[in-house]
Parts: sequence; C-alpha cells; structure tokens
Amino acid sequence: MIANLDGLNKAFESKIRLGIMSVLMANESVDFTTMKSLLELTDGNLASHARSLEELGYIRCEKKFIGRKPNTSYSITDEGRDAFSAHIQALENFLKNQV
Amino acid sequence: MENKEALNTLNDIKEMMERSSKFKAISGLSIIIIGILASLVSAYIYFFLGDYHINTPAKWQTTIIVAFCLLVVAFLTVFFMAFLKAKRHNLRFTFDTTMRRLLLNFFIPMVAGGLLCIALLTQQHYGLVSSITLIFYGLALINSSHFSYSELRYLGYAELILGLIDCFLVDYAVLTWFLGFGMLHIVFGIIFMLKYERRK
Repeated sequence: MIANLDGLNKAFESKIRLGIMSVLMANESVDFTTMKSLLELTDGNLASHARSLEELGYIRCEKKFIGRKPNTSYSITDEGRDAFSAHIQALENFLKNQV
Repeated sequence: MENKEALNTLNDIKEMMERSSKFKAISGLSIIIIGILASLVSAYIYFFLGDYHINTPAKWQTTIIVAFCLLVVAFLTVFFMAFLKAKRHNLRFTFDTTMRRLLLNFFIPMVAGGLLCIALLTQQHYGLVSSITLIFYGLALINSSHFSYSELRYLGYAELILGLIDCFLVDYAVLTWFLGFGMLHIVFGIIFMLKYERRK
C-alpha cells in the first residue's frame, strides 16, 4: 500500500513541538512556566523548541517584565494555525486511507 | 509512519489541547455531597417555616443566612475535593489560567445574580428570588462548562429550565430549591461518577 503522507509537516515531527502547538491552538496565550509544567520540560528544552517554531513563523514570543521578573508568553500566529490544521488534516487523511 | 502512530499523535494533540484549557479536577462525589447538603437545608427551611411560604422579612432573613452558609460550604467542599482528586490523579491544581478562567466564568453570573437578589429583597420583591437563584446558577454552570467538563452545561440547562418554570409559579420556592440544588446535583453527580470515575 502506498501511504499518502502528503502534507505532514516536518516541523511537527518532534513530540515537544507538537505539544507546544497543541497547547497554543487551545489557548490565546500561554506563559513560559505554564507551558513548561504542561509539557513537563526543562527550561532549555522548551526555549530551544519554541525558538525553532518562532523562526518558522508559527508562534509569536512576547517578552515583557512583570515588576522585575521577566515573563515570556507564547501565542500562535495565523500561519502557525494554518500549518498545524493542515498537519492534523494530513494525519486524518492518512488514517482514512488506511481503512 | 504506522497507522497506530498517527492515531496516537492525534490523541496526544487532543489530550494536550484539553488539558491545557480545561480544569479537570472536579470530583463527582463532591457534586453528590452538595446535592445532599442542599436537600437537607431545603428540608430544614421547609420545616422551620412550617409551610412553603417565605413571605415575611424574618423568614427571608433566616433563609438567606442558611442559603449563604450552604453556598460557602458547598464551594469549599468542591474546592477541597477537587484538590484531593488532583492529588490522586496527578492533575494540576495550581492557581493557573485554567482555574482562574473557570472561577471567573463561574462567579461572574453568580455575583450578578446574587446582587440582583439582594436588590430585590431590599425592595421587598420576594416573588422571583428563588427562580433568579436557579437561573443565574444555571447560567454560571453553562458559562463555566467551556473551561471544565463540558457536561456541566447539561446541569446548567436543567437548573435554567427549572428556574424559568419557577418564575411562573408562586410559593414553590423551597420545593424548586430542593429539586434544583438538591436532586439535580445528586442525579448529575451520580451520572458524572458513572461516566468518569468508575473503577476499571
């Protein structure tokens, strides 16, 4: 059988990046600490995956200060939403073709 | 890519979207407990008053004090049992966005309804108070169902309908409270437990 793998986005192959995108699809914006505890990641791990998604233009990263504490929050871009929806669609198509 | 892998990925996505946006630590048993408490309190009010009529300021005063205590006890019960459930199932129980959103969306209609009731009572319009408590509680549940178990909205619809029926009836305040805050909670709590908390 020739599986139809068109449309699967390489950027979402990593489980962590997939997790970040899933969380941001469901929430307007999520701060660094919440994201870290949701996905059970370390600081560095989250930062590097988030940066790569940001470089692709899929997520937006907003840094500000609350008092003296730096606070980073992430939100999804329109482009990211489209890309992720296409990825989910591709997965669903793939499953449908298998049946 | 394997078939199973694709399915797992889709499930992971769904679970992560749910977990990050919904507060899932509500315990079914706590819903049943507040139903039982509310039934007892309605029975107490009923026997204390001697009949269904709550028609004097003194009777209202007692009713309101008892009802308010019930509200506080019910909230603490749900909160405490949610804490226990979160601990048992390793769910998150911190004052984060999901909990904040749930509390905010629950208490906006509750506070609005509460203030409306106080205004009506101070102006001695007693008739609609019982239905307003049910209607606004129903709206609060429907509103908060987006941020927790979505089934909460069915309890909300039921409370809302009961409240609206009560608008057209006179003198059934204690009975509708008994049905709305007592029986509906017990029934919903049992269904909830059967669906989500049955031991496998």
